[in-house]
Amino acid sequence: MKINVAFVYGCRSVEHEVSIISAVQAMRSVDRNKYKITPIYVTKNGEMYTGEDLFEIENYRNLPELLKKCRKVYLTRENDNVLVKSVEKKLFKNEKDIAIDVAFPVVHGTNCEDGTIQGLFEFLNIPYVGCDIVSSAVGMDKAIFKDVLKTAKLPVLDCICIYSKEYVADKNAAVKKIEKEIGFPLIVKPVNLGSSVGITKVNSKEELDNAMMLAFSFTDRVLLEHAINNLREINCSVVGDSDHCEASVCEEPIANDEILSYQDKYLGGGKQQGGSKGMASLGRKIPAELSKSKEKEIRDLACKVFKAIGANGVVRIDFMIDVDTDTVYANEINTIPGSLAFYLWEATGINYTALLDQLIELAFKRARARDNITYTIDTNILSGVSFGSKGSKGAKM
Amino acid sequence: MNIYLLILLVLSALCAIFSLTQHFQMLQQNSYFPSRYFGWLRQSYNKALLVDAIFYFIITAFYLLKFFRIGCVAAFIILFFKLRKSRDIQKTSIKPLVFTDRIKRMYVIVILLFALLIGIYAKFPTTVVARIAITLCLLLGFITIALTFAVWGITLPIEKRISKYYIDDAVKILKSRPDLKIVGITGSYGKTTTKFILTRILSEKFNVVCTPLSYNTPMGVVKTIRTLLKPQTQIFVCEMGAKNIGDIEEICNIANPNFGLITSVGPQHLETFKTVDNVFNTKFELANAVKQNGGTLFVNGDSKEIISRIKDEYVTYGTNKKFDFCGENLSYGRDGSQFTIKLGGEKVKFSTKLLGLHSIIDIIGAVSLAFTLGVPVSDIQFAVASLKPAEHRLELKPFQNGSLLIDDAYNSNPEGCLEAVRVLGSFEGMKKVIVTPGLVELGDKEYEYNYALGKEAAKNCDIIILVGKNRSKPMQDAVKDSNFNPLGLYVVSSFKEAMSVYSQLADNNTVVLFENDLPDNYLY
Repeated sequence: MKINVAFVYGCRSVEHEVSIISAVQAMRSVDRNKYKITPIYVTKNGEMYTGEDLFEIENYRNLPELLKKCRKVYLTRENDNVLVKSVEKKLFKNEKDIAIDVAFPVVHGTNCEDGTIQGLFEFLNIPYVGCDIVSSAVGMDKAIFKDVLKTAKLPVLDCICIYSKEYVADKNAAVKKIEKEIGFPLIVKPVNLGSSVGITKVNSKEELDNAMMLAFSFTDRVLLEHAINNLREINCSVVGDSDHCEASVCEEPIANDEILSYQDKYLGGGKQQGGSKGMASLGRKIPAELSKSKEKEIRDLACKVFKAIGANGVVRIDFMIDVDTDTVYANEINTIPGSLAFYLWEATGINYTALLDQLIELAFKRARARDNITYTIDTNILSGVSFGSKGSKGAKM
Repeated sequence: MNIYLLILLVLSALCAIFSLTQHFQMLQQNSYFPSRYFGWLRQSYNKALLVDAIFYFIITAFYLLKFFRIGCVAAFIILFFKLRKSRDIQKTSIKPLVFTDRIKRMYVIVILLFALLIGIYAKFPTTVVARIAITLCLLLGFITIALTFAVWGITLPIEKRISKYYIDDAVKILKSRPDLKIVGITGSYGKTTTKFILTRILSEKFNVVCTPLSYNTPMGVVKTIRTLLKPQTQIFVCEMGAKNIGDIEEICNIANPNFGLITSVGPQHLETFKTVDNVFNTKFELANAVKQNGGTLFVNGDSKEIISRIKDEYVTYGTNKKFDFCGENLSYGRDGSQFTIKLGGEKVKFSTKLLGLHSIIDIIGAVSLAFTLGVPVSDIQFAVASLKPAEHRLELKPFQNGSLLIDDAYNSNPEGCLEAVRVLGSFEGMKKVIVTPGLVELGDKEYEYNYALGKEAAKNCDIIILVGKNRSKPMQDAVKDSNFNPLGLYVVSSFKEAMSVYSQLADNNTVVLFENDLPDNYLY
């Protein structure tokens, strides 16, 4: 009897395609002696599909064709099982319900990675891999993430946030405020998108408006922080839970532009090879060239950030080093990193199959811990209460 | 065909169906063993049997005299009483009849049986066969014991086949999981508590499934295996109950355990076991099963009936230094119980909300098994610290004026009450108060048990508050016969009065024990 893992990926997100790449990579690396896999591909409008054809990345080039070969399904709980059931029962086709034991979300971005999909799993009461609702939501919102880290006395760059309506209503006031509190050069980011989408470096007042409007096209709240002139970006992955976590070796992405753009991260270099291979193919140095002490500082800091937001599973935390002052800042966290950051763990000495196994074990561990806390009282309190309308004394509630 | 006779037959069938509620309920609660059901009948059904017989003779008399209409009226009146009785049983019993598939099948058989008999009469009203059918219909309609045995007999082969299918399926599931560790737990007392404690501790490191509630029959185990066991499950903790010789072996043949734990052997179910030796042998059927699988058996060395019968072939646990796992330095305080267990050569401290030596020994057993299965010591400590007591069972909670309450209001077992008073006595340095109405419903031993409880209270408490002036007489006698300061004894007439006495003397250094049978809502 193998453990059935449901990989859930795709979803209504700007990083839909990246998620497909990450998920297919992961599904191909799972230990098939121990696990069975049920792929659950969520389309951009939120419909779920399962089928054997979803294991092959080439099939996703022609989506309508692919979906025709798959069955449209939904997730539901029946008694002691969570089931993948067909939306339409076909008369002569024997489409059995699939009982799944653990859910493995490989989704990126808002509307899924931010706690949305975790909420679905909590609701179904099925063990799932990765961060829970709160840590996912905190990880997605760059402004709240900074607040949490500040409270934990961990180093982050100061920032201000502006809502789109506030900005559009009085651009001059907003610009004045930005000039005063941040100053140029600065970075403009949507608060809640991953993969560098909508991020611009702004060197002067003139460039600001374009950058703001670009960011507002993705979200209604924008974060601005001072741009570090002499900057190194260092990423580090962490695996574990609140009891125990470990940091991987560090990497240094190599940027074409000043900031890693979406193009760099996911599309860079892919075109010539006839297919994008995700984060794993990005230009980068692993391990990053750092002094022993700096590397230790970053890895320790990564574990502290991980615990500060209450993360679980595998995350990638992006740091910035101000080379002039040699100061490290935590910049952002990816609670479901592209390619699940497996390339960092391979460099640390843990192969992808072992990493996935560890992530699934962590999911079961958290589910056990939650089972040990009583959420519902077994007796029905309402059963002993009379709801009499004639002023009965029973209903003291 | 006489229409009134037909109505009479239908009414007798209805009477039968409604009077079956109680019989099926008893059959169900005696695990469908006709011998145990018969035992229940002998004990408590003499009067009812007589009533059944009288009903039968009245109706038969009307039938023989051909007073069919009066017969109908009589049968209708009987039906009315049967209906009311049936409703009362379902409403007021502690455990009403549960409409399982098996019970439904039995009802179907009953209905088919009566349909057949009435059908025979309707089709061939004047033949001898019809007369036999009528006689049978009335007999089974009013002598419900006969009907119950008949239905049981008819459904037995079907049920055997169905349960064999389920058992085979469960065995097949376990065979497909050679990596699964299976722990069997049995014992006369403490097996359910130990099962839950062990499951809680193991769940720190493993995916564990245990038999829920106090499921401990072969079919309960089979159901657990078929519905709750998941592919990720690493350990299955299986409670095994026994009322007859061979019961444990039967469950072991299904669950095939490779670890075992026996919590105690005592004089329980002696009506079927006859001797404690038989209880011992039955519990140790688990030992044979575990041995065959090359596993380890843990036994409670503090259980006299166990330790006197074994050599050193098993792992022992308890409170004696000679045992392989020994709990020591037990003390009680505001935070509950504290004790140590030697694990892997090191003395490990434990703290728990659970009170009482029985619970502590259950914990020691669970800890020794969990440690052997590889749960890290710090995880075991954490799990033990987070155990929760059952409600009103030596439950420790904060109370009036900063005082401490030991709520043992659901305890009605004389031995358990004495232990509760001893637990109270070991709260050193605190003012110790007991509030109790004493024990009831103990027959001719009632005075003796209450006197003993009074003696124990006088020895361990500073203040004794007895509820009920007459009811608590034996305890009053015991306290007066002891060397107890009479100013510390209060006899009050209600619980409310007891509380007003208590609130006068309670402070943050007071611990109070509520012992046996106090109103549910005393906290309000």
